[in-house]
Amino acid sequence: MMTYIVFILSIVFVMSFVGFATKPSPIYGGLVLIISGGIGCAIVLNFGGSFLGLMVFLIYLGGMLVVFGYTTAMATEQYPEVWVSNKAVLAAFITGLLSELLTACYILKDGEVEVVLKFNGMGDWVIYDTGDSGFFSEEAMGIAALYSYGTWLVVVTGWSLLIGVLVIMEVTRGN
Amino acid sequence: MKPPILIIIMATIMTGTMIVMLSSHWLLIWIGFEMNMLAIIPILMKKYNPRAMEASTKYFLTQATASMLLMMGVTINLLYSGQWVISKISNPIASIMMTTALTMKLGLSPFHFWVPEVTQGITLMSGMILLTWQKIAPMSILYQISPSINTNLLMLMALTSVLVGGWGGLNQTQLRKIMAYSSIAHMGWMAAIITYNPTMMVLNLTLYILMTLSTFMLFMLNSSTTTLSLSHMWNKFPLITSMILILMLSLGGLPPLSGFIPKWMIIQELTKNNMIIIPTLMAITALLNLYFYLRLTYSTALTMFPSTNNMKMKWQFEYTKKATLLPPLIITSTMLL
Repeated sequence: MMTYIVFILSIVFVMSFVGFATKPSPIYGGLVLIISGGIGCAIVLNFGGSFLGLMVFLIYLGGMLVVFGYTTAMATEQYPEVWVSNKAVLAAFITGLLSELLTACYILKDGEVEVVLKFNGMGDWVIYDTGDSGFFSEEAMGIAALYSYGTWLVVVTGWSLLIGVLVIMEVTRGN
Repeated sequence: MKPPILIIIMATIMTGTMIVMLSSHWLLIWIGFEMNMLAIIPILMKKYNPRAMEASTKYFLTQATASMLLMMGVTINLLYSGQWVISKISNPIASIMMTTALTMKLGLSPFHFWVPEVTQGITLMSGMILLTWQKIAPMSILYQISPSINTNLLMLMALTSVLVGGWGGLNQTQLRKIMAYSSIAHMGWMAAIITYNPTMMVLNLTLYILMTLSTFMLFMLNSSTTTLSLSHMWNKFPLITSMILILMLSLGGLPPLSGFIPKWMIIQELTKNNMIIIPTLMAITALLNLYFYLRLTYSTALTMFPSTNNMKMKWQFEYTKKATLLPPLIITSTMLL
């Protein structure tokens, strides 16, 4: 099972995305985001990026989603919309799940699937061996490079985040 | 908006476009687009009325979707070419996605529906920034990937944009919507020539920006947003009415004014590539554009609407509005030929 773990996780990833793409109330969207964040973290972990996966858990789920959950809980209505309460949402949810299952079945049967791009077999998605990664983990080297060669990227990203905060403040000022 | 925050936001808008233009890594280009889009939202929402909120929301939604499409194109390019450098895009799917995303950002048809509504909901100054500065970044990326753009797709978009820009502006009296449809039509002219001779696109962009800046500044001088208030300008600023006359004729592309330069060059380049019907169609539908510019000049400078006698004399106060760089702008946008 461990060879196919990334494939299975990717299928469940897409299905959880369907869960919040069908637009239930934001509280339930946040719930599904937690699940999909956790699965995304597991996919990253399986490719050897232990630091980045745990970063997803810590910052994304533990920081941003918590704040999102609190603010949504403050602004929620008395009977929030679930997947089963509204026929449109339920239909979209079932359609999404069924299409994903169908795609997965096609892949398992033929070995390759072509929707827009050629997804040739599970070669990219299956971990046959852990690979020879030398003395240093590639992922840790990438993160280190962000702070040595990629200083400009850090500056730009930091500035964008600051601008994001300032813009939100400006937009919600309201007078 | 307090001055410090306004300075920071304006600086970020300029930085975003600069990053887009100066980067060779697709990720940084995408970051530049996002920075630009985020920072211009408060500029669009300067006045806190529901119309401006709606306009900013529409702008944000369309631009965010376009950025997502661009990211998908970048990822597909990464999958098939293995590198992040902006250069010839060998995979046609990636190239089509990027072209679609960039034309969504520009407001080319069939993604033009947001342009009139957003331009109408915001102030004249914000509209000026929207229609001039925001066009520079996507155009620079189209210039850089121009060898790999699918000509059929872009030419179809360009042709329908010129048609939509001409026909859509015919029934408008609001000046901001007229300028929005004018922008759609001019973007169509620019997009038509990118795959053949990208330098002409830069020429058209430069002249279009000069002319649109001058037009918006003249409108701002009078604080007029409708044709009706423009038609009262002969009383307040008689000099500006003649300026509007030549500027509108230049926008319409009449020789010997400088608005004719890009049209002439584009038609010449297209005919050099053995395309006869398309430039003919574009030139014919540019006449629709010329019609509503002429209608503006007619009501502004060439006739006096019937009015009571005491409206004909106005106490001429001194101007207090500052028109930065207006004379050189007007001269360059009309006298270059």
